[in-house]
Amino acid sequence: MTSTNNALLFSGHQYLRNRLVLSILSGKPVKIDKIRSGDKNPGLRDYEISLLRLLERITNGTVIEISVTGTALLLKPGIIAGGSITHECPLSRSVGYFLEPVITLAPFAKKPLNLTLKGITTDDHDLSADIIRTVTLPHLQLFGISEGLELRIKKRGSPPLGGGEIQFLCPIIKQVRTLNFVEPGKVKRIRGIAHAVRISPQFSNRMIEASRSILNRFIPDIYLYSDVYKGDDSGKSPGYALSLLAESTTGALYCAEATSKPGTAPEDIALLASRALLTEIRRGGCVDRKHQTLVLLMMVLGSEDVGKCRMGEPTPRTIQFLRDVRDTFGTSFKIVSAESPNPDAVELVYSCYGTGYVNANRSLA
Amino acid sequence: ALSAYKQHSRRANRKDWIKLIYSSSLTPQQVLSDTPSKSSKADRDMDDDFFTVKSEAVLGGGDDEDDGDRSKEVLKEEDFKEWEDEELLDSIRGLFITGTAEP
Repeated sequence: MTSTNNALLFSGHQYLRNRLVLSILSGKPVKIDKIRSGDKNPGLRDYEISLLRLLERITNGTVIEISVTGTALLLKPGIIAGGSITHECPLSRSVGYFLEPVITLAPFAKKPLNLTLKGITTDDHDLSADIIRTVTLPHLQLFGISEGLELRIKKRGSPPLGGGEIQFLCPIIKQVRTLNFVEPGKVKRIRGIAHAVRISPQFSNRMIEASRSILNRFIPDIYLYSDVYKGDDSGKSPGYALSLLAESTTGALYCAEATSKPGTAPEDIALLASRALLTEIRRGGCVDRKHQTLVLLMMVLGSEDVGKCRMGEPTPRTIQFLRDVRDTFGTSFKIVSAESPNPDAVELVYSCYGTGYVNANRSLA
Repeated sequence: ALSAYKQHSRRANRKDWIKLIYSSSLTPQQVLSDTPSKSSKADRDMDDDFFTVKSEAVLGGGDDEDDGDRSKEVLKEEDFKEWEDEELLDSIRGLFITGTAEP
């Protein structure tokens, strides 16, 4: 994790996406070695290769070198170009895997991005298209990225065969606004999307009913939407999922999601999602676990002022991300305990001095 | 269950996050565990055999699915059993606008 010759050095296949994003944003080349070198099946996976391809197409002048065995990788970033792109995602990961890094890059592109991704729209590993649309994108609005920001779910696709399609539109900005978000507020409403494709729409109603059995006690303002996609729009495989989000009086968003597994009843999936949401609410803070790295990254890129955000305990991903950010941008966060009104939660205030990142690609246009 | 969680939180509250994150060589998982120690690593070093069996962690996740680069947590039904407790459900009422002020 040292940088020599201006290139960043990392080891291992973990945290690959964040490292690639940091490299492209900072303009510093990144070298990653020991990618699954001890594995029975060493090297990069098909979805990682696919992600590299996608990044190459979004940028202009990016050079990617992969060793013969696939266990080492060198990326020399070009400029972020944006524009209109269509990408076929492999069926090993959902579109969320590809969209998450792209979301952090797109605002700094030369031209507004219009990206169409095809593949699986909801799976167990990454943020689903629903969560990205309803929770991730509103997080960007905190930083002044809002007008023209849109995600359309044109077709849904469940694993294993996918067949979904989404369109992501992202405006470009000059600079990121500094964040000061330390009041978590209280939960004022809960929203949810239940969808079922290639099976009886009754499944989503059963999920909604089960979820209400837990959540109704807390708050009356609950609206769970049953999203029905028919015919070709519903992909190639059957599946269902429930995405929930809770919004607080200050605009803090907590989300949770559970997806169908073979042999489980929709009621169980709904209970799982509802309980996961309660766990997230209990953890407190202004940003939930799934969006910690996104918010922290935008804080680093913020204008030259102190940004503050209150969050729960960092996840392992976040901890590694904080270390990688220091190696890339030289920015360290100050992390102190927040005086929490809720004695059950570990709440911390993360603050940093923004790097004053300016979208240089834009001014070239 | 509630008191156990509280106790865990209090312990975690005392952590010096800045030091743990920026000036220790612990893995993120070790930072989050309650008693940060390198015991597992020390154990490995003790083996002075020429051939050493690499642990799962060194191999970077033995099973293919867990590659660490996922943004959703794994949801296990067992982890959420605690929410069957009515008392616990009531305990977070204060976090909603409809709830009364903290007791």
